[in-house]
Amino acid sequence: MRLAAMRSALAACGIACALLLAALPVRAGTYFVTVAGLGGEPDYDQRFTAMANDLDHILKTSGGDVHVTTLMGAAATKAGLENALGQVAKEAKPQDDFVLVLIGHGSYDGVEYKFNLVGPDISGGDLAALCDRIPSKRQLIVNTTSASGGSIAALDKPGRAVIAATKTGTEKNATVFARYWIEALRDPTTDTNKNETISAMEAFQYATTKTAAFYDSQKRLATEHAVFEDTGKNDAVRVASTDTGEGLFLSNFALIRIGAAQKAFADPAKRDLLAKKEELEQTIDQLKYQKAAMAPDDYKEQLTAALLELAHVQEELDK
Amino acid sequence: MTRVPLAAGICGVMLVGAGGVRAATPRDCETLAKHGHNAEARNCYESLTQQRDPYLRAEGFWGLKDYQSANNEFRAAVAQADGNAMYRVRWGRLLHERFNNVDAEGLFKEALQRDPKNAEAYLGLALVSADGFDDSAITWTMQALKLDPKLVEAHELMANLALEDSDTETAVREANAALAISPDALDAMAIRAAVEILADRSPDEWLGKIRAVNPTYGEGYAIVAHHLILNRRYEDGVAYYRKAIAADPELWSARAELGINLMRLGQEDEPRKQLEMCYENGYRNAETTNTLRLLDSYKNFVTLRDGPVTLKLEKNEADLLYPYFDEEAQRAIATYTKKYKMTLPGPVQIEVYANHEDFAVRTMGMPGLGALGVTFGEVLAMDSPSGRKPGDFNWASTLWHEMSHVFILTATNHRVPRWFTEGLAVHEETQASPEWGDRVTPEILVAIRDKKLLPVAELDRGFVRPEYEAQVIVSYYQAGKICDYIQERWGADKLLDMVHSFAKIQTTPDVIQQDLGMRAEEFDKEFLAWLDKDVAKEAASFDEWRNGLKDVAMKARDHDYDGVLKEGEHVRALYPDYIYDANVYEFLAEADLAKNDKTAATTVLTEYEKMGGHSPATLKELASLESDAGDKKAAAATLNRINYIYPEDEDLHRRLGDLWLGQENYPGAIREYKAVLAMGPLDKASAEFNLAQAYFDAGQKDKAEEDVLAALEAAPTYRPAQKLLMQLEDSKKGTNADGHTQ
Repeated sequence: MRLAAMRSALAACGIACALLLAALPVRAGTYFVTVAGLGGEPDYDQRFTAMANDLDHILKTSGGDVHVTTLMGAAATKAGLENALGQVAKEAKPQDDFVLVLIGHGSYDGVEYKFNLVGPDISGGDLAALCDRIPSKRQLIVNTTSASGGSIAALDKPGRAVIAATKTGTEKNATVFARYWIEALRDPTTDTNKNETISAMEAFQYATTKTAAFYDSQKRLATEHAVFEDTGKNDAVRVASTDTGEGLFLSNFALIRIGAAQKAFADPAKRDLLAKKEELEQTIDQLKYQKAAMAPDDYKEQLTAALLELAHVQEELDK
Repeated sequence: MTRVPLAAGICGVMLVGAGGVRAATPRDCETLAKHGHNAEARNCYESLTQQRDPYLRAEGFWGLKDYQSANNEFRAAVAQADGNAMYRVRWGRLLHERFNNVDAEGLFKEALQRDPKNAEAYLGLALVSADGFDDSAITWTMQALKLDPKLVEAHELMANLALEDSDTETAVREANAALAISPDALDAMAIRAAVEILADRSPDEWLGKIRAVNPTYGEGYAIVAHHLILNRRYEDGVAYYRKAIAADPELWSARAELGINLMRLGQEDEPRKQLEMCYENGYRNAETTNTLRLLDSYKNFVTLRDGPVTLKLEKNEADLLYPYFDEEAQRAIATYTKKYKMTLPGPVQIEVYANHEDFAVRTMGMPGLGALGVTFGEVLAMDSPSGRKPGDFNWASTLWHEMSHVFILTATNHRVPRWFTEGLAVHEETQASPEWGDRVTPEILVAIRDKKLLPVAELDRGFVRPEYEAQVIVSYYQAGKICDYIQERWGADKLLDMVHSFAKIQTTPDVIQQDLGMRAEEFDKEFLAWLDKDVAKEAASFDEWRNGLKDVAMKARDHDYDGVLKEGEHVRALYPDYIYDANVYEFLAEADLAKNDKTAATTVLTEYEKMGGHSPATLKELASLESDAGDKKAAAATLNRINYIYPEDEDLHRRLGDLWLGQENYPGAIREYKAVLAMGPLDKASAEFNLAQAYFDAGQKDKAEEDVLAALEAAPTYRPAQKLLMQLEDSKKGTNADGHTQ
C-alpha cells in the first residue's frame, strides 16, 4: 500500500493523516493459514468448510507471492494445525507477512479461550506459542469464532494484530463475521481508497459494516461486535483512532493486491514518476487538511489542478 | 333516602335516612361525585379514610385519587377478609383504572373463585377485555347481565361495545335498559348522544340531560369523542375531548386522548403540552409515556415539503427514501384526484418510521401493532421499509393503500364504514400494480373453506372485534374482493357512487340496495358465488397443497431436484397465489439451477415476480439471470421492483444504476447512484464516480465535475475517476476552442 493513498483511506474512515509518516515497505510474501474448525452439526460443518474453501480459492488466485495452507474437515485437528504453523515457521522470513484465519466455534470459560477442532481443542495460549515461533515480524490473526474476543489477551503482542468477531469471550452465539470477511476479499468495493490493495483495515471495516447490516435487516439483536487490537497494548477497539494509533498497523497490512501497483515499484525507470506521484498525493492531503480554512472556490481550483496533474502522472506510470 | 352532607370541616360525613343518622358509605360518596357535588363528595371520601375498616379507607383514598394509599388499604382489607369477593373486585377496578389490567384480571378471577356468581367480577373481566377490543368483552358482559340483569354499568358497557361494533340498534337498546333501571345513568346518556352525533343528528338532548345531572361530567363527552375517533372523525373527536376537559380539567384520561388525537391531526406542540400535563399530574399510562418518548424522538426526523406532499422521515434515511416516497406519493395523489374526481383540501403528511414500535406508538400509543400503515385524515403514518425484515412488505403498496383512505375519508367527511374504506384501499393496491397487494394467504383459504366470511352488513365487526385470530386479515381480503367484484360487475363508477352514498350516512344495506339494486343478503350470495370461481379450487385443495409443499420442501432439502421438478409444478398449480416463505417457485428455481437450466429458472422466477413475489434476494437472483441472458431491460425492471420493497440495499442501487446507465436512462441511473451515496457507502469513491459518470453522460457536466472531484478527494489515484476528470477538462477546453471567451 502506498503511503499517500493509505492516508486517503484513513481520512475516509476518520483518521488524520499525520499518523502515517512511514513509507510502506515492499513485502516479500505472505503466508496464509486458514482453519475451519469443528462445526458440531452438519449444517455448521458444511458452512465452515464452504467458507474455508472460498477463502482458499480467493487467496490462491490473488497473484503475488502467497503461500496458502487451508485445514478443514478431518484435517482440522490440533496436530494438523501445529504441523501447518510449524511449516510456516520453517519457511517464512522476517520480512514475510503471516495471516492466520480461524473459522468455526470458540469457547471461553472466563479464563481461557479455546478454538474447537476435531479432537482436542487448542487454547489461545497454545496458538500464541505456535505463532511466536514464526519469524514474520508482521502477523495478523483473524479469529472469526464465537467468543473470539476471549482470545485477544493471549494472542496479542507487538507486531501481531488480532481481529476478533466478538468484543469479549462472553459473546457466545455463532457469528456471521467470517462470511463478510471473506466477501470483503473478493469485493472490489472493499478497496475504498482505490489503491488496488485491500488492507486488513479495509476488510475489517467492510466486514463489520456488513455484519451490523445483517443483524439490522434481520431485526435481530446483534450478538457479535467485532474488535481489533494492533498496538500490542492488549486494548481491543472497534474503530481506528489517531489519538492512540489504533488501526495504523492494520491499514498498513496488505491482504490482497488487486492491481498493477506493485509492478511499478519494481521498475527503476518509473521511480521519478513515482516520486512525483507521491509528492502530488501529499499536496492533495495537505489541501484536504486546509479545506476548512480555505475559500471553497480556491480549494476546488487547487484540488482540481493537483488531481489533474496526478492523473497525468498516473497515465504515464500506466504506460 | 335524603343525603345531607354536613358542613365541611368536621371529621366525618353523616347521612340522615329513614333509620336516623349513619356514617357515609362508598356508594353515598360515589353518588355525590356522580351528581357533581364535588366538594361534598370530597368530604365524604375524606370521612371514609378515617374509618376503621381498611376497605372503607381504600374506597376513601381512591375517591381522593390517592391511589397508592388505596392500593395499600385494599391489600390490608383482602388480608383481613380473604373470602370477601367484592373487596377483590373493587381492588381490581382500582388497578384497572390505574393501567394495570394484568393484576386487575387476576383479582377478578380470584373473586370468582370465591363467589362464582359475582356479576361485578364478570363486569371487571369485561372491562379489561374491552380495553384490548377483545371479543370476550361481550361474553363477560353477557355473563354479568345474566347474573344481575339490573347491573346498570353492564348495560352501559354492552351499549358501548355494541356501538364500537357499529351495532347502533343494540347500543340504543342497552343504553335505554340502563336508563330504565337508573334514570341518571350518565354513560348510557353519553352513548345515546354518541349515536346521535354519529348519525349527524343533534346530541343536545342527551348532552343536556348529562349536564342536568352533573355539569362537570367530562367523561360523557369523552365517551362521545371515543366513538368519533373510532369512526375516524378525528377533528370532531378532538372537539369533544376539549369539551370533556372543559367540563372536568382533571379528567386526565381525556386530556391524554386529546394530546394523542391532536398528534393524529399532525400537531406536535399542543399534544406535547397536554401529555406533559397528564404526566406531571400522575397520569402515566403506557400510551401517555410512550407518546411523550416518541415526541422526544422527533428531533431525529426531518420534514420535507413538495406541493401536496409533506414527508416526515428519519434523518438517517431521508436522503435515501425521499425520492422514492415523494414520487410515489405524488403519483398516487394525481391518480386518485382524477379517479375520485376531487382535490384534497391541503397537503398530505406522510410519516415514515424506521422503528416499527415507534409507528405502533404513533398509531395506538402502544407497541405491538400488526399494521403497516394507518391514516388519520390528512396525516398518514407507516413503517419504513427498514422497519421490517427485507421482503416483509411492499411499502409503495402500503402508501397507495393509505392514500386511498385519505381520499375516501375526505370525500365522505369521515363518514364511511370501515369495511368499505379498507376494501377500497386493498382494491386500489392491485389497481396501482397487479403485482402489489397481498395474495390470498393460507389463513384466508382456510376461512373461505370453513365458510367464515361475514355478511357484508356485519363486516365491520371483523375489523373491530375479531372472533378468531386471522379474522382481521380475512376481513381485509374479503372487503378488497367485494370492491373487485363491484368494479368487475358494475364498473368503477359504481364504487364512486357508493362513496357518495356512504357520505350521506346511509347504512351498508341501504347503499347496496340503492347503488347495486339488491338486498345485502342477495349481494352476499352472489359475491360468494363469484369468489368461489376464483378461489374455491384453491380452498378445496388446501390440504393437498400443504402436504405437497411439505414433500417438495423435504426433497429440496435432500437435493432431490428431479423429485422437486416432478412434484413442484403440480403443487404450484394447486395454489399459485402462495408466494410467501418456502414457496414452490423458489424450490423449482433452485432445482432448475442445480440442473443448470437457467432458462427454466428464469421462467419460474418470472412467474413468481408476476404473482407478486417479494423476496428481495430472489428477485435479485432473477435479475442476475435476466442480465446474464442479455435481457438488461428485464433485469433493470426486476431490480426496480425491489425499490418498492426494500430500497435499503446498496448493491441493488449500484446494479440498477449500472444497468440504467447502460440503457441511457440517465435520470434513473442518477437516482440510483444518489441512493448509493445516501446509504453512506464504505466505497464512497466509486459511488461518487458512478454518479459523476451518469451526470457526464446526461450532459450535466457541472454536476459531473462536482462528483468526480468528490471521488478523487476520497481516492486520488482512482483511475476511472482520473480519466473522467481529464475528459471533463478536455471538454472544457473544447468548449473554449469553439469560441467561448477564455
